[in-house]
Amino acid sequence: MVNKSTDSKRVLKMRSTGSRQQFDTLVRPWRYRLYGVAQRQSASPEIAEDWTQETLLRAWRDFGQLDDHVAIYAWLLRILNRVVADGYRRDNRRQQLAPVLTTEDAALNEHPCAAPGPFEQALKHQTDAQLTAAVHDLPDSFRQVVLLRDFEDLSYQDIAQILDLAPGTVMSRLSRGRRLLAERLIKVASDNPAASNNTHTRVNPHE
Amino acid sequence: MSDTPPFTSATENRQWSDLHDQIQDWLAGYADGELDEHHTTLVEAHLAGCEACRHDVERQRMLSERLQEIPAPRLSPAFAKRLDDTLVSAQASNKRPIGHRPLTGLKHWLARLSPSAVIGGGGWAVAMVLAAMLLVPNLAPDRSNQIAVANHIPMVSDVLADYQRAVGNDLPTPSRDADLSPPMPWPNGRVLARWTTSVGGEPAEAYAVRLGNSLIVQYQISERVFFRNPDVRQAVARAGDFRTRDNELEVIGVPMQASGLLVVAPSGNLPPIDKSAMSAS
Repeated sequence: MVNKSTDSKRVLKMRSTGSRQQFDTLVRPWRYRLYGVAQRQSASPEIAEDWTQETLLRAWRDFGQLDDHVAIYAWLLRILNRVVADGYRRDNRRQQLAPVLTTEDAALNEHPCAAPGPFEQALKHQTDAQLTAAVHDLPDSFRQVVLLRDFEDLSYQDIAQILDLAPGTVMSRLSRGRRLLAERLIKVASDNPAASNNTHTRVNPHE
Repeated sequence: MSDTPPFTSATENRQWSDLHDQIQDWLAGYADGELDEHHTTLVEAHLAGCEACRHDVERQRMLSERLQEIPAPRLSPAFAKRLDDTLVSAQASNKRPIGHRPLTGLKHWLARLSPSAVIGGGGWAVAMVLAAMLLVPNLAPDRSNQIAVANHIPMVSDVLADYQRAVGNDLPTPSRDADLSPPMPWPNGRVLARWTTSVGGEPAEAYAVRLGNSLIVQYQISERVFFRNPDVRQAVARAGDFRTRDNELEVIGVPMQASGLLVVAPSGNLPPIDKSAMSAS
């Protein structure tokens, strides 16, 4: 169902006998992006830092056991995913139920800003912080795929490997996750039309 | 809001509805260009008659484009430095390439070991090691449990590095009430020290045993670390244990009841392993 092409640019060749120099060359450059993914899933920057550090330490521990060909970033995200899951377990955080919306959902059809044109305008008027918060509030199973696809630009095949899912499941979760996100953003825009009309410059919360 | 389905019978309406439900889960793949040709054709045929799904595809595209514009959070310089320091520390303590460090401590340890035996200094000590190598039972390599190159197994490189550290420095003095019973007792062995170290990222107990003229160290490690490597798992499945060696050192790995045992000795000086004599872990 899904194209099986992988991004060969991200597939790096390495020897199984990992060394410190290889680790530094292949892994360290990804720590910035890893932190980004961690931060978008965590409740605080401190937790994201802990997750990033734990991910890199586990990566160093297992570095010598890698296969000959490995997509380094996908491998790191796979480790991060386990670290995050461990963190959730420790916090006794329960997985949210992931509601399934269809394209017939009332909010997606009745609100004036649900049509493509108004929706695009509403999106433009949402700040980066508001959008990031809306993604953060998605149920875990939806948030993961949205993060890896729309923030990290990974292929469905890579996401499937990182999350141990079938590519078809990645696609269905992404379809449902984006639909739920759109519905929530439409409701926010409908509840607060002034926000949709305000034309102030977007604020980058990270600068 | 959807266009009227171009069907008239109840059966056709149900088929259209089933397809409509199924296609809901393919819309992200269509919007992202990740669907194969066959499914793309199916979705496009459906979109031609379904406004709700057309709008959904448009919203998915817009949402994806908008989210891609958001810059990644920045790593603070302070945390970046702390992260680098932590990694450097882990790399320094957790893994050292085998074969790059000379076994400089062994001669010093032999010189300390038994003053009456050390006549003429290091030359005699080396001769004694060689003699011991000739006297011990022949450890003919059993190919079924040999792992030729072991420096890709972190637990092996960890115990080799720890052994080299131990013979290069004074062994820790055991406290009076310390339990010095090693997991694998040898009749003529004398336990010199016990300490805690890190193997494969987890705590491990080390027991230094003097056996003849050899210093042999037993490392009791967690079962999880012991079985982490596939080569080890295969060798243990075939032969019940595994053996490997570096230039001057030999390692045997033996699974225990709920842990693993790694024994490091100068090459040729590994005593016979009597698993029945091992203490329960």
